[in-house]
Amino acid sequence: MSVKLEALLQMAPGEILAHNERPTGEQLRHKKQTYFEDVAVGDELPKYIYSPTPTHLFRWSAAIENFHRIHYDLDFGLNHDRNPSLLVHGSWKQSVVPQYLKDWTLPGGWPWKARFEHRAMLVPGDVLIMWGTVTGKQEKGGMGLVDLEIGMKTQDGIESMPGAATVVLPLRDGPPIPYPFVPPQD
Amino acid sequence: MTQEAQHDTQSALTPEVRAMIGVAGEVVESWGYVDEEYLRRFTQAVMDPDPRYWDKDFAEGTRFGGVIAPPIMVSYMVSRHRPDQEDPITRAFQENPESDGIGSVERPGALPPVPTDLVRVLNAGNELEIYQYPNIGDKIYFQNRYSDIRERSGRDGRAFLIITVETSYKNQNDALLCITRQSSIRR
Repeated sequence: MSVKLEALLQMAPGEILAHNERPTGEQLRHKKQTYFEDVAVGDELPKYIYSPTPTHLFRWSAAIENFHRIHYDLDFGLNHDRNPSLLVHGSWKQSVVPQYLKDWTLPGGWPWKARFEHRAMLVPGDVLIMWGTVTGKQEKGGMGLVDLEIGMKTQDGIESMPGAATVVLPLRDGPPIPYPFVPPQD
Repeated sequence: MTQEAQHDTQSALTPEVRAMIGVAGEVVESWGYVDEEYLRRFTQAVMDPDPRYWDKDFAEGTRFGGVIAPPIMVSYMVSRHRPDQEDPITRAFQENPESDGIGSVERPGALPPVPTDLVRVLNAGNELEIYQYPNIGDKIYFQNRYSDIRERSGRDGRAFLIITVETSYKNQNDALLCITRQSSIRR
């Protein structure tokens, strides 16, 4: 049973990690469709929990060819930029967002759009919780539009990426969501 | 909280600044193409094990018809350094031994600067719209554009700007893959 965000934030960091709901490849392969009719305002999405290490940060820097030293050169970060430690990339956080929305809408929905801000400096050792809550829903053009509040909180409850998203879920007896995606017309 | 800039403050949204709205950079072809190795490294680094990204047989049976890539992945292809150009990192450290690793590195497709005396830059937020997944073998073309410049005033009454740069990403068939927008505050 999924643990509510508020309850997670009452736990010790090690205990939070035990409630990670990031799906495995096999779970994504066999993911059952969530339909528009299945969700209600106030529903919480699964929580993706991360505990980035310097090695995770280095791997991300290398993967996207981001050479900013604050992410892998601790001496530079501490003594030049006066940061508290190496810093978790904003680019990594914002790349988790479409993954999170994709996973929830698979296999037939669509992770249409998101907006968010980067706040707070995240460092290795932080426990990070990617979360989402349904804030609204409407049917439009044969599609189920679902509005979400999203974010990535630290173990201390600090919101590092407040944002919102709109995803599309199929109606239980509706047509398939078009691919490539075409937004419903007003 | 901010509010609409008051008429009694000196406006930062001058005619020259306003004229930048809609100004677009050149369409730039990213170096390389969407390939399996970049896809593997990216999805492992973001920690997404989705078999749609690596299992050809499974992916061909999905509605996408083949292996796909995260749209946001191609947004990082635009900052690749071309091998036919001078190594910008070596140059950055020759010019400044204390380089932060990105400060002096030039990026292709950059927009002309907004003509303002406001020099302090703060990140004001990001947006992402997704329309189609890239496929293996896709070439990626991108274009930057000043999509919006607004003026606001802070608590001290001074005007500042919120500048939004929109970047669109298309494939070799001119199909729109995704749009990113980054807004920055200029104080």
